[in-house]
Amino acid sequence: MFLALREMKHAKMRYVLIGLIMVLISFLVLFVSGLAKGLASDNASSIQTMNADYVVLDKQSDQRINRSQLTDEQLKEILHSTNQKQRTEFGLQMTTVQKNGEAKKTDSTLFAVDPKGFIAPQSIDGQSLKEGNKNEAVGDLSLKDEGFQIGDRLKEETTGTVLTLIGFTENQSFSHSPVLHVSLKTWEAMHDGKQSVNAAALKADSGKAKEIEKLVPGVEVISKNDALKSIPGYKEEQGSLLMMIVFLFVIAAFVLSVFFYVITLQKVNQFGVLKAMGAQSGYLSRTVMYQVLSLTVVSLAISILLTFTVSQLLPASMPFLLNVPLVAGCSVLFLTVSVIGSLISLYQVIKIDATEAIGRAS
Amino acid sequence: MKENKLTLQDVKKTFGDGDQQVEVLKGITLEVKAGEFVAVVGPSGSGKSTFLSVSGALLSPTSGRIMIGNQDISTLHAKELNQIRLKNIGFVFQSANLIPYLTVRDQLLLLSELEHQTHKEAEKKADGLLERLGLLHRKNHYPEQLSGGERQRTAIARAWMNDPEIILADEPTASLDSERGRTVVQMLADEVKLREKAAIMVTHDQRMLDLCNRVVYMEDGQLISKPSV
Repeated sequence: MFLALREMKHAKMRYVLIGLIMVLISFLVLFVSGLAKGLASDNASSIQTMNADYVVLDKQSDQRINRSQLTDEQLKEILHSTNQKQRTEFGLQMTTVQKNGEAKKTDSTLFAVDPKGFIAPQSIDGQSLKEGNKNEAVGDLSLKDEGFQIGDRLKEETTGTVLTLIGFTENQSFSHSPVLHVSLKTWEAMHDGKQSVNAAALKADSGKAKEIEKLVPGVEVISKNDALKSIPGYKEEQGSLLMMIVFLFVIAAFVLSVFFYVITLQKVNQFGVLKAMGAQSGYLSRTVMYQVLSLTVVSLAISILLTFTVSQLLPASMPFLLNVPLVAGCSVLFLTVSVIGSLISLYQVIKIDATEAIGRAS
Repeated sequence: MKENKLTLQDVKKTFGDGDQQVEVLKGITLEVKAGEFVAVVGPSGSGKSTFLSVSGALLSPTSGRIMIGNQDISTLHAKELNQIRLKNIGFVFQSANLIPYLTVRDQLLLLSELEHQTHKEAEKKADGLLERLGLLHRKNHYPEQLSGGERQRTAIARAWMNDPEIILADEPTASLDSERGRTVVQMLADEVKLREKAAIMVTHDQRMLDLCNRVVYMEDGQLISKPSV
């Protein structure tokens, strides 16, 4: 690393500038990734955090939970072929609520669950849902920011039922709206027993999932991941952000490879001299590689620091989520991309002939 | 009888293939003994650069034998030639060709780095060389801060760094005025005698020839002891 370090020290400006570009690009990658993750969570955290592996839907629902409707017969069959630890049915309805008779309406999604089932949420503030109590609801924490408090009475628009807010839950949203969880009993009462449940959550392996799909007529069993994708807007949001991220990686690769390619072309004569003096291609390639990697690592470190600082300054309502696996994944990908970008320069270095040095004025 | 440092026996080098073959070296035989400083003079296009590349293990000859010390290098692979160049041959290029981002001292230390030698020893050796060539006060300067003569002296110091058997100099005075050029060549000649090594200098600067032990002339790919004109 004798040459690599001394060169970077000597041509500081050049390497600082390219480093700066790398910092900006990797910062953008991390920021957009955080935003994508944040939006995903903001959109559908109630499904993401759902303690289940599969969702049973009716076949005509086009894999969308809010369109699905399980008939009583289907539900009976499902209940028959699974035990209580494996399944729990739930209802879902997008609606609006009004607080304490105020005129202002708030979008929310009603989620009817069995309070004793495995997808019932735990409240982080106030109480959780209980089996016997009717017309009680727990809501996502974001409702608190909108001015809702424990004890508020919420009028559900379509049925006119008044629900009492007894607690707040965490990470419960569906299609960008906060989820209000109610018990199945409340759900039944709200709809006079006419509305059946939308779907059932399964905690089972793929074998069991297939078995149910075969056994129960007219149902489809999809993975939780597929259910996520079918939430309105989810795939589109994630897709466009993912495209931006992919392009940023491609841009990063090109910027690095062009920079080092040009620098290597400038140094053809120099590399010729070094080879004439007995330097191996491997040694010179390692020098270039070392420069690429150290530049990338330093830029990455700075941009990670920058991203975390900026994320602290963002308003809480901004959907932004950055965790260690995401940062680590992006970093590894970034390093890989930079190594791939430097290959063209390495090829150039290996190709240079030692005889370049003879009979030539520099 | 002193030992041979460099021996060329009927060395031929042909470029191109098929109908386009050009024979640049047409059978060259030369012996350079320890302590000898040989000048190779000739017009451009006579094959001087190719002669230097072949003698310096940069190119393999098409036929013939090349020995450095007692080792035959005419059939070695590229990687082995690399090692031969590193350990047994010192180059002084036209216009010095120093690495622009290394200080004078680091130019020398690079050689020991390439040979994986210990740093302490190399530093001592480098300082010794710089002192003899009058460059010690310049050891932390970059090439851009040096005069042409200082650059060429640095190149000579670098060439001696790994104790080579032979020094090959490619028009070392091309970018210098005659007085500085003479000083540089004188230094080269002194070192050759002092160390009992050998050197070949390709030049077309007639004024330097009196500093050499022997002058050979190159014409149309052949070595002759007297010019034809």
